[in-house]
Amino acid sequence: MIDVDLERELERRFPGAWELYRKTADSRELETSAASRHEAWRREEGWAVRWWEGGLRFATGSDRQRLAAAIPLAGKLPARSEPAPPFPTGGVIPEGGQIPLHPDDPTAAVAAPPDVFAPLAQLVSEKSRGEAVLVTLTLRQGRAVEEIRNAAGGRVRMQSSQLDGVARALGRRGPHMCERRSVFRWDSEPDLAGVAGRLADGATLPLAARGPTFSRGAWLLDPAVAASLLAALAPLFCVDTLPLWVKRGEIASRRVTIADDASADAPCDGEGTPTRRVVLVEDGALVSRLHDLRSARRAGGASTAHGVRPSYRNPPRPGARRLFFETSGGVSPRELLGGVARGIFARALTAPVFVDLEADRYEVEFTGVALIAGRASEPVAGARVSGRISELLTRITQVATDRQFFPMPYPIGAPTVLVERVNFQ
Amino acid sequence: MEIDDSAVARWLEPLAPGRGDIAEVFAETRRKTIVEWRDGEPGDARVSIEAGVSARQRRGGQERLAFVSGSGEAAIREAVRVLQASARKSVLPSRPAPAPPDHAPPSSVERWVRRLEPMLVRHVPRHRFRWSHEDISRHVVPFGSSASTSTRRLFSLEGSFTAASRRGDETRNFSFHAPEADATADELRQALTAAAAARERTVPFGDGTADVLFSGATAAVLFHEILSHALEADAGETPLSRLASARISVPDLEVRDDPTRLDLFGGYERDDEGTRPRMVRLLDAGRLAASLTDRAHADARGSSGHGRRAGPADAPLPRGSNTVVSAGAATSEELIRRLGNGLWIEEIGSGTVELSSGRFRLAFPRGRRVRRGRFADEIGAGFLAGEILPALSAVEPMIGRDVRACRSLGWCSRAGQVVPVGGEAPDVIVRRLSVRDR
Repeated sequence: MIDVDLERELERRFPGAWELYRKTADSRELETSAASRHEAWRREEGWAVRWWEGGLRFATGSDRQRLAAAIPLAGKLPARSEPAPPFPTGGVIPEGGQIPLHPDDPTAAVAAPPDVFAPLAQLVSEKSRGEAVLVTLTLRQGRAVEEIRNAAGGRVRMQSSQLDGVARALGRRGPHMCERRSVFRWDSEPDLAGVAGRLADGATLPLAARGPTFSRGAWLLDPAVAASLLAALAPLFCVDTLPLWVKRGEIASRRVTIADDASADAPCDGEGTPTRRVVLVEDGALVSRLHDLRSARRAGGASTAHGVRPSYRNPPRPGARRLFFETSGGVSPRELLGGVARGIFARALTAPVFVDLEADRYEVEFTGVALIAGRASEPVAGARVSGRISELLTRITQVATDRQFFPMPYPIGAPTVLVERVNFQ
Repeated sequence: MEIDDSAVARWLEPLAPGRGDIAEVFAETRRKTIVEWRDGEPGDARVSIEAGVSARQRRGGQERLAFVSGSGEAAIREAVRVLQASARKSVLPSRPAPAPPDHAPPSSVERWVRRLEPMLVRHVPRHRFRWSHEDISRHVVPFGSSASTSTRRLFSLEGSFTAASRRGDETRNFSFHAPEADATADELRQALTAAAAARERTVPFGDGTADVLFSGATAAVLFHEILSHALEADAGETPLSRLASARISVPDLEVRDDPTRLDLFGGYERDDEGTRPRMVRLLDAGRLAASLTDRAHADARGSSGHGRRAGPADAPLPRGSNTVVSAGAATSEELIRRLGNGLWIEEIGSGTVELSSGRFRLAFPRGRRVRRGRFADEIGAGFLAGEILPALSAVEPMIGRDVRACRSLGWCSRAGQVVPVGGEAPDVIVRRLSVRDR
């Protein structure tokens, strides 16, 4: 718990211009393979102070004493002149908020993640017709308590819990091999079938004999591929200055609505501003942006509760927290697939998505299945689509209703997405 | 870090009852300073002081790791208690206590800040850089051998700047990673000067295959990806598996992984399991030689001292350190002539490898076309790609004689763990790599 003495000390040294953050987290990790089993328990504590003394300064420590030692060192560093932003007032402090210690059984702070290696391995094998094997599965279950205090009297305490993981599979056909990783986050029951399907396709489709046999057609994006693309585009919603290609706010086709709403994850952002839903792209038009306290001040507005802290070691910065395509006007994925006369269904990426927002360029390398008259015809080992982001977004003609969330590392939700008139390489 | 090592070793004893079992405690304190620079002015500044402790037990294919923030006996006790409880051994009593003060060495941060500002203003006046300075101290208490302490002080400058070229202003990326030393400032100054030199208008190279001359120590990045990673003892099945001692490249090529080179970014005096590291020949006269091991994957000679962790919250993995390519006898001019027609690369921005298929990819920000043994057009950004074995067999048996440190090679990520790496290399020609414009 943050004590009052520390707050008084900060107010004395940096009157009206400080913010204190503390995070404690307990997690338990299980990494399994056919031959090994690794378990890890982690209890992490971190403290951070951000203050404005001439300019912005930031100090962190793994405990209160080290935080106290870091503050004067950060105070000696040069900083660009900048006034403190207006801090959120009020607060959300639920009862409890401490991760219980178990003096008799120090392993009991967090329950072990489920051991699902064997059933997932079975599913990967089935879905790949024996061509892929699950190599490792790492699951991490954890919970965290975050506390934020500031000079304006803001008081927030938040608890969160999470089950996420990464699985790795190896596809093999003759002398050729291919490895695929899949990251996932389970908010409810473990979705083994979804993870197995992605691993099986990602590890075996690149082993196909050839790439695309046609150079132009429709491009159907699997939710995981669409989510990666949305993650690569997400900085567009936070930049201070929009790139030149974003003209009059129209950036995508009318089928596209994108929002950010992390209400289900946390009541406040990393600066203590209450979480709210923000529609960023509405019917293809860019209608708002994501702000933390500092960027909101520069823009002359209010924070949208998007001050994110990837860790206590990093000062808050504007960023998406739970970004997703709206799917209320979507169609079923089967209907979407059935309507493709000729195209490629991108099932997995074979390289990270490349995006240059300033230059309006993107490039996606993927593996998938060729579609003819709404039916799968043959695997496509590797294909590439590149061009202008502005064209890509305006050629999205439909989204499906099968939205799924992926950790990138914050949750990104995407359904199957159809893009028309795409050139394949 | 004042720790009663013998008491800790006694706590660990029940956790390693068998021959080959591993039980150890790892403690780290890290002081990191980051200053963002923009056009000669410092922007956001931050200082972080962290301490963490982990206890680890490994028996056969089972490994357990317990991490606790903090330092000193109380934190070690908590970490060991978790292992004891999970192994169903008797558990030490908990004795919470305030963290002991760190004995941090005098910091050189303020001196660096004073030196950097005029240097950046003079050589690259329009820039966005992040400068980081880390003091890392690690203490390892392994059961069954003596405890050890090691320290490192690392310096990194990364970002972009605006430079004049014949086609107008252009943004160029820059990265420089070095262990802190007396010569670091001069080396940085030279690197900035070279990076800011005027350049010609770039043209696309065109997609296809090309013979590539890796200049400016960029061969260290290539061999880091295709040899160092592939020879990490836990790499699984790779194209190099089952090729022990096979000749896979020209006899003129020798590549080593050398953590004892403390002048390079990836060097260290002790690895993160407390083992004194040794240089490992990866490729000896073109033959596949040895792999990089930690204690869990050690051969008859024991660990090669490549057990590395990103921090105390992570278990050690066998990882590369400094990729060092031995010098040959050719001059730069001879190599350019030998290349004939192809691509000359002096910078590599990043590299990746997929070990199971052996495919690798290197991103370069610019290059130079070579025609009939002479420099021709400036080439814009692109990718080099290939597969491990074909690339190694396509190394030209003429190696450059001048070896340079590769200061752009700095941080390597694997399975989410980021560790410092470095390297040095002479100029090397590799035939028939795929080239693609970006």
